[in-house]
Amino acid sequence: MNIGIIRGGAGLVWRRQSVLWWIFAVNLLLALAGTLPMASRTGAILNNSLESAKLVHGMDLPALAGLAMDPSHPLSSGMPALGFAVVFFVFMLFIEGGVLEVYRLDRKLTRAEFFGACGTFFWRFARLVLYSLILLIPIFLAAQFVINRSGKLARDAAPPMAGFWFEAAGLVIVLFLLMAVRLWFDLAQVDAVREDERAMRRGLRRAARAMRGHFWRLFWVFFRISLAGWVFLAAAFWVWVRHVRPESIRASCLLSQAVLLVWLGTRLWQRASETLWYERQSPLPAPAPSTPELSPAQPSTLEPGSPEPSPGLRPDQVQNLASTASGAAKPLENERAF
Amino acid sequence: MSRLPDAIARYRLVIFALFLFLPPPWRVTTSAQTAAPAASALKEAPVPGMPLSVHVVAYQIDARLDPARKSIAATETLTYHNLTGQPLAVFPFHLYLNAFQPKSTFMTEVRLGGTRGTGPQSGWDPKHYGAIEVKSLEVVGVGDLTRQMEFIQPDDGHKDDHTVFQVRLPKPVPPGDDVQFRIAFHEQLPEVLERTGYKRDFFMVGQWFPKVGVWWHGAWNCHQFHSTSEFFADFGTFDVKTTVPANYILGSTGDPVASLNNPDGTKTVTWHAEDIHDFSWTASPNFHLVEDSWTGSAGTVKIHLLMSPGHLRQTRRYLHSLKGTLDRFDRWYGPYPYDRITVVDPPHGALEAGGMEYPTLITGGSAWWEPRGLRETEIVTEHEFGHQYWYGMVATNEFEEAWMDEGINSYAEAKILDSLYGQGQSAVNLLGMTADDSGILRMEYLDEPDTDPMARFAYKYMNTSAYGGITYGKTATVLLTLEGLIGEDTMRRAMHTYFMRYRFTHPTGEDFLKTIEEVSGQNLRWYYDQAVYGTNILDYEVLNIRSDRIDWHEKKPPPAKEGQTLYRDTVLVHRKGDFIFPVEVEVKFSNGERLREHWDGRDRWIRYTYEKKARVISAEIDPDHKVLLDRDFFNDSKTEKPDSRATRKLSTYWLFVTQGMAQLLAWFA
Repeated sequence: MNIGIIRGGAGLVWRRQSVLWWIFAVNLLLALAGTLPMASRTGAILNNSLESAKLVHGMDLPALAGLAMDPSHPLSSGMPALGFAVVFFVFMLFIEGGVLEVYRLDRKLTRAEFFGACGTFFWRFARLVLYSLILLIPIFLAAQFVINRSGKLARDAAPPMAGFWFEAAGLVIVLFLLMAVRLWFDLAQVDAVREDERAMRRGLRRAARAMRGHFWRLFWVFFRISLAGWVFLAAAFWVWVRHVRPESIRASCLLSQAVLLVWLGTRLWQRASETLWYERQSPLPAPAPSTPELSPAQPSTLEPGSPEPSPGLRPDQVQNLASTASGAAKPLENERAF
Repeated sequence: MSRLPDAIARYRLVIFALFLFLPPPWRVTTSAQTAAPAASALKEAPVPGMPLSVHVVAYQIDARLDPARKSIAATETLTYHNLTGQPLAVFPFHLYLNAFQPKSTFMTEVRLGGTRGTGPQSGWDPKHYGAIEVKSLEVVGVGDLTRQMEFIQPDDGHKDDHTVFQVRLPKPVPPGDDVQFRIAFHEQLPEVLERTGYKRDFFMVGQWFPKVGVWWHGAWNCHQFHSTSEFFADFGTFDVKTTVPANYILGSTGDPVASLNNPDGTKTVTWHAEDIHDFSWTASPNFHLVEDSWTGSAGTVKIHLLMSPGHLRQTRRYLHSLKGTLDRFDRWYGPYPYDRITVVDPPHGALEAGGMEYPTLITGGSAWWEPRGLRETEIVTEHEFGHQYWYGMVATNEFEEAWMDEGINSYAEAKILDSLYGQGQSAVNLLGMTADDSGILRMEYLDEPDTDPMARFAYKYMNTSAYGGITYGKTATVLLTLEGLIGEDTMRRAMHTYFMRYRFTHPTGEDFLKTIEEVSGQNLRWYYDQAVYGTNILDYEVLNIRSDRIDWHEKKPPPAKEGQTLYRDTVLVHRKGDFIFPVEVEVKFSNGERLREHWDGRDRWIRYTYEKKARVISAEIDPDHKVLLDRDFFNDSKTEKPDSRATRKLSTYWLFVTQGMAQLLAWFA
């Protein structure tokens, strides 16, 4: 089943890859906007200086430090770029509802549908983030404890590696806890979208119930997909160190962007797999007799005018689609779809 | 001492040869007595069996370590030869371990400005308590003078500081006579900090015995222990007995001459050393002893490497750096006259004992995880060995002229590491990132470039950072720039002359500077006044380059043709800093021609104008990269056409970091 879920999730991400590209584009554009001030200031110093060759044909650390010490502080002007990370966080929180809706329905959504879902779930997911802090804060405190304690062990314990092993083991546990919490809240988001749940605590309880008895299987899915991202990062790093010449900026850029794209892809892969798992794990009850009967063989996309809804539609959505099919509401054929 | 004050042990070391050309002992002098010996002494062969230095002091110490209490009980007999030429009635002594108390001058300064690994935000930690208590002091032939002892504070009058005491004899010691002190003392070692103390069952015992001050320039020189200062002492002989548990492995200054197992499960090892001015030792049951040797111009030197558990894979790195350093010092500066060098690798958690020098014993610094491309172990080893020359043999006053040991040694460090590991990558060559040692030293200088002159007492710097940046970084950079001025060969000859002339003496900064002038045959006072005694910043910049067609005023000039159109080319160079230094300016033209201009730098700016059938495409100040003192290398040149590759590269990296951070944060959404 795991392999099926992972493959199914990958297929879902592939079929709906416009989601991935859009998020990647936003990630890139925000970071570009944040990087421009630094590029402008460093350019003023480097572009007409022969000394800049030391940063082209290698990475001369004293030259880099010299640049950082320039009175105009060109490198520190890159720090505000990190503010764009916060903007991206909010952006992701916003579009998460739309993304999950796309994966749940496995079809193109109109812009109105997509952003409708985004808007519908934004504040609910924001509440979920707040709930997650209740768990994340103790985990971060635990991580801090592990780091402090390992530092003390490294200084005081007789075995030279004691501090290292304590830190390694501690951080593995912390990482596991983080992933477990993330998995739980991911499922709560999936549940919220599927059930149109407004009460997030109830959604969390339902997600916890769904995970019960399946945790390790689900975690294994989550972990293996993460592993794919890390392996790709390691491979890319190896290629960069061994095969990319220092002055080959284009290759470095392509490689680094490939890593970021894969990271983003693996995260969406996790979301798609979780959606798929949740749908299979908790099928919706049969629709009411008044609604059209669902076909056993469902199309992967819903074409305008088609009366068959995708599996797992909420009753209100089924009703909407039925109305659409009967001409009560016309589909926006020319609207851009996600 | 290591040049940077924090965790991972730092720089230093080296080694060497023997002494072929030592002057006869009656020609060896201390600054207390005379000026430098004649240059002809450099060629005179040593007399076998005769001391290399004037033995002012002779210490006999019997010490017993109590590993459980982390304490030492000891007796000391000091014979002092009054070679001052005048009667002496008062004798000051250092009690360095009393610095590790909350009200000491040392801790007060640490609180204010930080020191090695103990930053200004650090509170007092009782585990760092250290103390040395003189139980009794007797002068042979006079009697017990314990009650005559009084703490003095010659530097700051801080009454709670007990790092120096003096005793007044009822009758002065006549010139040429000896006086013998018998001192019983007990000391409590701190958990290791500032080079000394314990960590678990590792003991690094340095600055641990009552040490008499130095009669220098007509007065006693016996400073309190400060957070940024080191030490100063007279040459002599040391006969030291150390009693430790029988399973402990020992390392020490000098040579072991006897070892005796005691019935109580301890052993007593006797050490002898001469022509040195300090003595330290180390003990641990966990040391792994690695023995090796190196042969230089003065004979074979035994290498005694005490490795800590978990660090054994770094053994080769220690030995490679040590032997390479011995070789360079032997060939470049002079022979290593001792028959042994002991290197201590402190265990993890005891790096505060690392990166330190004592005569014939140095402490290194390594970690199990240290990758080969990060040459911390090598740098520390090189630097600390280098102190065998600049501190050990050329025994300058570290309290008052710290630049003479740390700075000159840092200069030698940069040269030797370049020689051993290659220019441009002598300190770091890891994952595409490179750094040379001289570049790192320069960065240290630039961190605090103008707060203090080099020639300032170590404890009078603005703060620890300024002390480190100026003493190590600026001095090395000043000497590297000086080398560019007078030539590498001349500089090496000057260093060799300085070493051979002043080894086993206490030279001053002026002795060093005058030696360079003498060897180079140049008057360098203008440079010393700015670089050594001043705080001016050296910064030149190419303000502008420009190529105007001669016929620019014509309404319809013919199209420009390469090699045919005549231009008026101008290059404007500006002295941005107040430091005046002659510089070369290289101007390149579009036809491939290069011109070198020499500017004395006295005016604030200079404009070079040319009329050529070529455009100026770049101008560069100091094209040979000799003036390392220049604060900003980026403004030293200007090109006609921009090259944005470096900017794009840095931006690409930063873009990646920003995107990655954003994705990481979004993981929690």
